[in-house]
Amino acid sequence: MAPKKDPKAPAKKAEPAPAPAPAAPEPAPAPAAPAVDLSAVKYLIILSSFHSTDYREAFGLFDRVGDSKVAYNQIADIMRALGQNPTNKEVNKLLGNPTADDMVTKRVDFEGFLPMLQTIINSPNKAGFEDYVEGLRVFDKEGNGTVMGAELRIVLSTLGEKMTEAEIDSLMAGQEDENGCVNYEAFVKHIMSV
Amino acid sequence: MDCHNEECSRPQEEEDIMDIPLDDPEANRAAAKIQAGFRGHMTRKKMKPEDKAEGEERQEDRGQ
Repeated sequence: MAPKKDPKAPAKKAEPAPAPAPAAPEPAPAPAAPAVDLSAVKYLIILSSFHSTDYREAFGLFDRVGDSKVAYNQIADIMRALGQNPTNKEVNKLLGNPTADDMVTKRVDFEGFLPMLQTIINSPNKAGFEDYVEGLRVFDKEGNGTVMGAELRIVLSTLGEKMTEAEIDSLMAGQEDENGCVNYEAFVKHIMSV
Repeated sequence: MDCHNEECSRPQEEEDIMDIPLDDPEANRAAAKIQAGFRGHMTRKKMKPEDKAEGEERQEDRGQ
């Protein structure tokens, strides 16, 4: 006998409730966004560069503690050693605007350093020979290719990221002629040679 | 500040005469770029001593 259709059971055409897809967990909200998103930095230049072992070696030279890390306050110098010219402001931004204490106590390993270096390498508007010459030409009162060493010293110690007297002495050593003048094109060539 | 160890004895009028644009953001930005280049140069010069002293310098650095 054919089973009787239960007349009370309405043919349910309703779609079965879809099995709830397991909710993909929302990624934990990122902590207060760092000043620079290092995770997005492109590594192409470093990974493909034959200089990568040099970078690691230079980094290692700065590790005075032996923990394969360097302190925040060494980062700018390592980058300079590797041919870059970051401003202190750029480095501070990469480090998340650290406190003076952070600069001394916080350390970063090579893998943490690489994206920072890459960011500086990638940064646009890098100064070249002409930029330096034009910048110094502003102080060439007589338009004769020289600036007064004394004036340059004052500018370096009062504007921008002020330099100390010791830094300036080191920089200007042997650059002033007997009249205290600096031939700034020659000076810039000298600066860019190292 | 930077000059706390040195005598900041430069007379104010000397700076006025030289028209140092202390408050000009463009001038300060330009100066910072030049200073960055200078600092880069000085660090590299320090890392690259005369060849004969290279080994010794590196060791000194390590010992610091």
